[in-house]
Amino acid sequence: MELGLISGSVAVFGDHIAADTVLPARHGFLPASEAVLHVLAEAGPDANARARAHPVLIVGEGFGYGTGRESPARALRAAGVRALIGASFARMFYRNAINNGILPIVCGELVRAGIKDGDRVEIDTGAVRWQRRTFPIAAVSPLVQRIVLAGGLIAHGRDVLRGMAAT
Amino acid sequence: MRPQTIAEKILARTCGAQQLTRDEFVEVQPDFCYSHDYAIFAIEAFERMGATAVTRPGRIAVCLDHAVPADNARDANNHARIRAFARKHGFVAFFEGGSGISHQVMLEQGYVLPGSLVVANDSHTPSGGAVGALAVGIGETDIGFLWATGRIWVKTPESVRIVLSGTFAAGVYAKDLMLHMLRDMGITGAQYQVLEFTGPAIRTLTMSERFTLANMSAELGAKSAVFPADEVTDAFARGRAQYAYASVLADADAQYRNEITIDLGDIEPMVTLPGREDRGVPVGTAAGRPVNQVFLGSCTNARADDLAIAARILRGKRVHPGVRLIVVPASRQVMLQTARNGDLATLIEAGATLMPSGCAVCAGAHQGVLADGEVCLSTSNRNMAGRMGNKKAEIVLCSPATAAASAVTGVITDARAFLDKGDS
Repeated sequence: MELGLISGSVAVFGDHIAADTVLPARHGFLPASEAVLHVLAEAGPDANARARAHPVLIVGEGFGYGTGRESPARALRAAGVRALIGASFARMFYRNAINNGILPIVCGELVRAGIKDGDRVEIDTGAVRWQRRTFPIAAVSPLVQRIVLAGGLIAHGRDVLRGMAAT
Repeated sequence: MRPQTIAEKILARTCGAQQLTRDEFVEVQPDFCYSHDYAIFAIEAFERMGATAVTRPGRIAVCLDHAVPADNARDANNHARIRAFARKHGFVAFFEGGSGISHQVMLEQGYVLPGSLVVANDSHTPSGGAVGALAVGIGETDIGFLWATGRIWVKTPESVRIVLSGTFAAGVYAKDLMLHMLRDMGITGAQYQVLEFTGPAIRTLTMSERFTLANMSAELGAKSAVFPADEVTDAFARGRAQYAYASVLADADAQYRNEITIDLGDIEPMVTLPGREDRGVPVGTAAGRPVNQVFLGSCTNARADDLAIAARILRGKRVHPGVRLIVVPASRQVMLQTARNGDLATLIEAGATLMPSGCAVCAGAHQGVLADGEVCLSTSNRNMAGRMGNKKAEIVLCSPATAAASAVTGVITDARAFLDKGDS
């Protein structure tokens, strides 16, 4: 089983957006459907609408730094985000994204290439394409592919537990 | 076999491999796992996976520390559900709210041990590196998966050697060193990496100082930080260990991404200006700036030695009338120790307000919230806008000495002026 192509339009955000900005702690216990209304709302006046309108977010350095709470990643997924392309990710956020079925891709070259809101990208396991250019990325590990493909670690866990019960 | 770092050895052992390559995604079986109030999300993940039995409950604990005692029905109900789950599944330990901050309690109680792989759903889990554990923060769903299967996935990290030499000048502390490192390296300065502390100065650092440094490796973006086990570690772990462990040292020729050398004698007292953790400046640069609240607490700096430093400065003095000094010992054990040795009484006599042991003001979801435009000088670890519950307030980070001296004067103050007055 391999990760298929993730393709779609992008919304572009800047450097050093904290996980607490993606979803402030005071909204951390909201049901996902309500948390969606607050995703990235503190990152700019139209940031929430932009994040919800595009399946791929282009982010800068250190995206998701600070708190290790998982609610920011849960809320992004509920907002329809399928992939993030960034210069670098805070490591706990990186885990939480994968565990919620969002593919985080490190590709600083694309982030700095002048990509704009509404542009389309295509992501596969070894490259990202934008306009007529191809940007190589580190191969997505089979384990991460399985988790993201399943839709996140809960669904993956269901598969694993079924496998454990069968043996 | 390729020579290995501490992190590589611990991950290889818990993965069942001889050795691992860098940037590999593998599954490991951690030696211990703990959680706090956000265990509620782990319980939900566990149940949604269809899991019914917890694997290895003897290596799982919960310590409520974020919203304790609960101040609303939602938190109270969540706590009740966590208590019931821990009892039903036979977790080896459950620490009620008021026991302390989970990272502190787990070390004190001997659940985080040299050479062990420890995970928890909190970004300051790297604190456990103080005793030579590889302690790594993971997500809440990860915790549910781990309870159900005994395993988690990890990406194998590179390590960086932090070589410490020399000794701190009077009035300079481990916190100042970390704020200095953050200024120089930035909040992504150690992204995905494990800091391995080494050099002639580390044997002079107490367990509490190591805790402060390992704790705030999180602000550098590190996966963790680890102090190789030595006599200080052995003295701490002896008589405390809850399970068998074996210390791990790095091989002589292990490969590091890079090496950073710091002479402790070059460090001066630092404060970190509001907004981001890498905005450190020498305390003199910010001196005279008014503060409304001083928070002496958090997993970074609220142990007995931290409270002793503050008590020495506040003895026989009064907190400035324009300042609210909030003291939150890192654990009940710390509270008891400082109650017995008189330091707590000294702080209370000076005008401090004592709150229950826990994350308190630092987590921003409970007490000690600031008003618009106010400034909190804090011994904690984070200072982004809104961290303490109000985006319109500012947070400045510092050592316990700077916190105490500034509580007396009402403005950011170099504590060395107090230490020079011969009462040390």
